Amino acid sequence: MQSYHSVGVVGGGSWGTTLAHLLGKNGNRVLLWLRDEESYQDIKNNHRNRKHTYEIALSEKICPTMDLEEVGKSCEIIVIAIPSSNFRQVTYLLGNHVKADQIVISACKGLEPQTHYSMTEIIREETCVKKIGVLSGPNLFQEILKGSPSAGVIASEYQEVIKKAEEIFSSSFYKIYGSNDLVGVELGGVMKNVVAIASGIADGLGFGNNTKALVLTRGISEMVKVGLKLGASPWTFNGLSGLGDMLVTCSSPLSRNYRVGYYLAQGQKLPQILEEMKAVAEGVNTAKVLHEYCRANQIDLPIMEGVYQILYENKPISHVLSELMNRLAHLEMDTNLLQTASSME
Amino acid sequence: MKPEHKEWIMQEVVKRVLSDKIAKTSKMPLETIIHDTIYHEKKRLEQEKRTKRTFQEAQYWKKIHKKMLSGSEEEKKSLIQEIILRFSHEIVGNFNPKVYSFSTKILPIGLSILLNTISPGVLFSHFPKLPDVSDRLIIQGEIELIQALQHLGTIILVPNHNSNMDSIAMGLAIHKIQLPPFIYGAGLNLFTNSIISYFMNNLGAYKVDRKKSASLYKDTLKEYATCTLECGYHNLFFPGGTRSRSGEIEEHIKLGLLGTGIKAYINNLQKGKEKPNIFIVPCTISYQLVLEAEHLIEDYLKATGKSRYIIEDDEFSKVRRILNFLTSILQLDSRICIRFCPAMDLFGNRVDKQGISYDKRGRVVDISRYTWVNGKVAHDPQRDMQYTKELAEQIKKSYYKNNVIMSTHLVAFVVFQLLKKHYPEMDLYRLLRTVKEDDLPLREVYESMEKILARIKKMVANGDICIDDHIKNLSVDAICDEALQHFRIYHSKVVLLRKGDRLYPQDPDLLFYYSNRLKKYDLEKGMEG
Repeated sequence: MQSYHSVGVVGGGSWGTTLAHLLGKNGNRVLLWLRDEESYQDIKNNHRNRKHTYEIALSEKICPTMDLEEVGKSCEIIVIAIPSSNFRQVTYLLGNHVKADQIVISACKGLEPQTHYSMTEIIREETCVKKIGVLSGPNLFQEILKGSPSAGVIASEYQEVIKKAEEIFSSSFYKIYGSNDLVGVELGGVMKNVVAIASGIADGLGFGNNTKALVLTRGISEMVKVGLKLGASPWTFNGLSGLGDMLVTCSSPLSRNYRVGYYLAQGQKLPQILEEMKAVAEGVNTAKVLHEYCRANQIDLPIMEGVYQILYENKPISHVLSELMNRLAHLEMDTNLLQTASSME
Repeated sequence: MKPEHKEWIMQEVVKRVLSDKIAKTSKMPLETIIHDTIYHEKKRLEQEKRTKRTFQEAQYWKKIHKKMLSGSEEEKKSLIQEIILRFSHEIVGNFNPKVYSFSTKILPIGLSILLNTISPGVLFSHFPKLPDVSDRLIIQGEIELIQALQHLGTIILVPNHNSNMDSIAMGLAIHKIQLPPFIYGAGLNLFTNSIISYFMNNLGAYKVDRKKSASLYKDTLKEYATCTLECGYHNLFFPGGTRSRSGEIEEHIKLGLLGTGIKAYINNLQKGKEKPNIFIVPCTISYQLVLEAEHLIEDYLKATGKSRYIIEDDEFSKVRRILNFLTSILQLDSRICIRFCPAMDLFGNRVDKQGISYDKRGRVVDISRYTWVNGKVAHDPQRDMQYTKELAEQIKKSYYKNNVIMSTHLVAFVVFQLLKKHYPEMDLYRLLRTVKEDDLPLREVYESMEKILARIKKMVANGDICIDDHIKNLSVDAICDEALQHFRIYHSKVVLLRKGDRLYPQDPDLLFYYSNRLKKYDLEKGMEG
């Protein structure tokens, strides 16, 4: 019988490095796979990944590797923290090495542009693994690296995944909650990025707290609409991966998606913003995927559609804003939605 | 079933169910288990007709109750054992492979002789050959694969469920492609028809009393299936649990019986069996006419949630109706299509002729590792239930991909969609009442059929659905003629009638029933383009 001795993290960007650090601090031996030679050398020689996580000293339990096979063969639990655009390709390669007893967890909050698939669906397609989970929640990497008390949620249809993830992640400064609503938790983390762009726009325009509250509450309502369509529990969106993540992302300049919205409102162009930003803002891609999905399924999401029009149709922010405010007022709580939600109880 | 297996299975069922029950209810007194069983049995007996048998059963439960009240803990344990054994005896059929072989050979001939006595027309139409019902069975799909897998492990065949004729059709199909006998759980109501009961008893059926709702009975049933799988007996389950009332492909798959596969597999691995693998082979059965369609759709259309799970008084309980059905099939050269879908393992992975599993990217999967807990093969009820849920999803997908469209489905679908278009605001019930008065020009039906057929052919090329070989190259008017002939002959009312160049729906409920076979493919969108 095979014995595993490490926890694997695939992806050496800011979030992957942070998760590896978190796991290392918790006493796990961590194999961190990354493609970038410079980061690999930096972690190996200096216990730092200055390209992504500044001067912060990383856990010495992190062993960087550029060999995906080593991760596949040595780790019972593997966390993938790769942007959605490369997620499938790397997961396919990992799929050449993993076996049916292993656990794979997605830590990416995005959707695949071509297929509209979530990351856990991609894991299911590209590997033989069944015990799949998703890690989400209000987790700004800078704060976790500083050791500020934080929490995340691990969702899986398999109790074993939740239990084992709790064991490796939970510490005195990072608390893990479990959930069986894999779809809801994954969607919460994905969709809030689009709301964060809207929130950044509102702040960039100098609007106050009323506007922020409007964007957040109606944003959650739109998330619930999509969630219900895809079989998620509406209550999940009130939790860490929905409201929790949104509160952080929609108000912190540390959030990339928020910054995209903020700079757009300041008059900068999207290509320029993305070029200057080192890391990927998943919300930009997610807005497009959601637009396509909702058009095909006739779901009305005014805020998310507004963000799409600003990002992809170059529609002036003022026009979008005016259209949003001039929409006919509906009941705050959609009765159809309420019925669907109550039927799930 | 070999006598030594039967004995082992009986002992094992009692042992396992007892220890599982005691483990699950460890904090509750043993009498809770007995109480629960007595309660459910009494409730069942209250709803049944009073007969000598029900009287004896009631007496038995009274006796158990009395013994329970005065018994020690050890005696209560013995009582539970006794009940499990009683249930086990009820379940185990008198299946005998020799009789099975005889029955499958004699069944088509027997039915043919019966048909000839009531319908000389049928006899002369095939003269000098005897008409053979089994000739109407079109068997297709992964036949070689299932033939190969029978030697490499144990097979669970999971057909969709339209009609009580399914058991007989499957029995014939299994025999025709030279597979060994399969055993399967058949509802008690299938044994009420004297002719069919004879064949059911000998086609490998064990009796399942779906009115028995005590958990002890259900557990005994599941454990019985698990043990037969461990002994290497191929099983047939109808995972939908009951016949599709609406005519649709199964949306809900019951997990209880399906879950016995993984349990047996883990037990096989733990025992180090030489061939531990269990293969799942979904299978679709498609009829041009469904024997009990009238009763099934009537039941479906009753207020939601009030439809009966068990129907005892439908067409299947009437011998003449069955003969009428079979006569119609022969007269019309009607087809029953049985399609064996690609086999999968218990985790939904594709399996090849060597019994090797592959992931979606074609890589070999060592499936025994799905059962590991910290490096060792072990049961994990929550995990195994999730595996079964995912397997059920794969089975459903397989049904949709291997659903064989027959002429009656296609014509009913097109006509029903066109009628629906006339009354876009109406709910289903009003629509069904209203369209009786309506009619359609044939040209409009043909035009829509052309569009839908073009779409279906694309889907067939992509492997998303199948079409009856007989109609795939026919013109739409020929397909329509064939369907109309079927709709005219068998059911008590003509379903769809042609007068001149117009079609008149005479039985909208049945039209709806046959059209539902094509539901959930979004085909209606194809009628617009």
